[in-house]
Amino acid sequence: MKFGKRLLSAILVLAMSLTFVLTGCSSEESQGSAAASGSTAQSGTEKAGKKLNVAILLNGTLGDKAFFDSAANGAKMMESELGCTTKVIEMTADETKWLPALTDASENPDYDIIIVGTWQMAEKLAQIAAQYPDKKYIIFDSSVDYKDGKCKNVYSIEYKQNECSYLAGVAGALSTKTGKIGFVGGMENTVINDFLVGYIQGAKAANPNIKVLTSYVGNFTDTAHAKELTLAQINQGADVVFQAASNAGLGVIDGCTAKGKFVIGVDSDQALAFQSSDPAKANAVLTSALKRVDISITKAVKEAQAGTLKFGEAETLGLADNCVGLGTYNKGVSKDVQDKVTEFAEKIKSGSIKVDTAFGKSTSEIEAVKKSVRP
Amino acid sequence: MNTVMATIFSASFLFSVIRLTTPILLAALAALITDRAGVMNIGLEGIMLCSALAGVVGSAAFHSAFLGLVFAMVTGVVLGLVMAYSALNLKADIILVGIAINLMASGGTIFILYSICGDKGNSTSLKSLTMPSVNIPLIQNIPVLGNIISGHNLLTYIAFLSVFLIWLLLYKTPLGLRIRVVGENPNAAESVGINVRKIQYTVLVISGILASIGGAYMSMGYMDKFSRDMVAGRGFIALAAEALGTGTPVGIMGSSLIFGAADALATNLQVLDIPVQFVQMIPYALTIVGLIVYSISRNKKEKKIGISK
Repeated sequence: MKFGKRLLSAILVLAMSLTFVLTGCSSEESQGSAAASGSTAQSGTEKAGKKLNVAILLNGTLGDKAFFDSAANGAKMMESELGCTTKVIEMTADETKWLPALTDASENPDYDIIIVGTWQMAEKLAQIAAQYPDKKYIIFDSSVDYKDGKCKNVYSIEYKQNECSYLAGVAGALSTKTGKIGFVGGMENTVINDFLVGYIQGAKAANPNIKVLTSYVGNFTDTAHAKELTLAQINQGADVVFQAASNAGLGVIDGCTAKGKFVIGVDSDQALAFQSSDPAKANAVLTSALKRVDISITKAVKEAQAGTLKFGEAETLGLADNCVGLGTYNKGVSKDVQDKVTEFAEKIKSGSIKVDTAFGKSTSEIEAVKKSVRP
Repeated sequence: MNTVMATIFSASFLFSVIRLTTPILLAALAALITDRAGVMNIGLEGIMLCSALAGVVGSAAFHSAFLGLVFAMVTGVVLGLVMAYSALNLKADIILVGIAINLMASGGTIFILYSICGDKGNSTSLKSLTMPSVNIPLIQNIPVLGNIISGHNLLTYIAFLSVFLIWLLLYKTPLGLRIRVVGENPNAAESVGINVRKIQYTVLVISGILASIGGAYMSMGYMDKFSRDMVAGRGFIALAAEALGTGTPVGIMGSSLIFGAADALATNLQVLDIPVQFVQMIPYALTIVGLIVYSISRNKKEKKIGISK
């Protein structure tokens, strides 16, 4: 009882002192930023060449072996290559924390550039960017709404996932022995179909007679159903399956591993992700189609440091910018196949091959693409 | 078209029907046993999800798939007891308790997964084990049948064995008789000295065990890892299968097989010219048809009883 009371009073004292400290800080900060925001406005152009201070706010946590880890890697690249000061802030998956964290970062006069990612942040960023017109923001894998001259201080990065999936299609079509390859998507939406359209085009370029089996899980979580779809495709003759199904994709990897077939990973290098915990799965990964968040944000910050970054615009980055591509190859992929893929990659970079996109395509047009390779 | 027909009438298709039926069957049996005692266990989905995680964590911690299964079953029992205590002692609405279990499971498993693996998506970093697959001697050598029946996961055989065990329990034991009496009329049961609360506690624990085997099958048989929300509505489909199964273990095995077949069909038809959205709808449309058939047959039965009164 006595101990309980003592503990309670200790907690109360702690809470009180914390409140003082925090309120003290925040009032100081807001004064500071009021003064500083004026100066950053003028120094925006003067600052060209100065080492920038970058804050990266992740609306999740590190350890996802994909997007967010890649962004954190970008922070390291900025420090070593550009001499920036960086701070990576994990806002966690708790959506109620995102807006306050973004506001706090915007209030902080030390940060020159604030980076956020994913479509879930786009609307929140547009709101905050309007309140802090002197701050500079970068958003990756999504774009803010630039209509009516809004978001002049935001630069958006989108990725050409159809280009990396084109190469995945080339690698798949050159590796198959049955002439049939598979695609398992999460839900049928435009981004997933963008992967599909590129994949089919790439596969056809490498082998005009290729057959592609297409299935959708219907969500991004049902691993068992994804595995079932993969096994069905394997039963129908597919021996390389490309997955674009986020978490459900684990089922695709599992199905291919169980049947001794190849799987093509997505977003992160899935061979590396499984290397230590499950070598059998790592060995089933042919290669992975990657979005390089790290390279793209480092490139953007580099341009910002030079004063050439086009704020107020969205840019779609692809192979030519090294911002999408393939990951490490399986040991079973011959040098010839790798060279062939590199050859196609060069053609895309030079512009002699134009990769189709699902954006702006109607449902029937996409159906036609699928039909052209149906067995 | 011919290739698809060949696929559907192949041994591997029927094999996948059995594989898909397993989790639904176990959960439907779990729903049956509580339903027969007059309690509606709507928290099956949550119990399955929690025990799927428990199985993976347990097998990684104890380096034994069998102990992982035991750990999953303990989780199922604990959740069954939590439901029973809240609903029977604290008089909370059992449906609300079930919903609470489901919500808690969805968020709670991600929380626990994150605190153990540092990953919110799946348990890739845990070296978990799976239950073994079993080749049945003699039967595996029979040409087509062997390919369909033999070679499944141990838990699949446990599921089909449970059909028999539950039938035995319900119709051949004193406990089964009491369960049925409590379900038919709890007041009458109480008047002849049956402890209704004890019976309902018992069925919720049995239900927890069955659902937890179903959950363990998801992460230690079907798949070899846990991933968030991996049960994906199978606990609810099981409720429909239970309703369709006319309240008997064998009927439920039949209805679960129908759902398994619909799922397998939906999987294999995706490569056809039929729109994906239509194919994905099949299992759910079948659920609705099943529930309509069930309620029509029940209405008829009730009318009959009404006349005899």
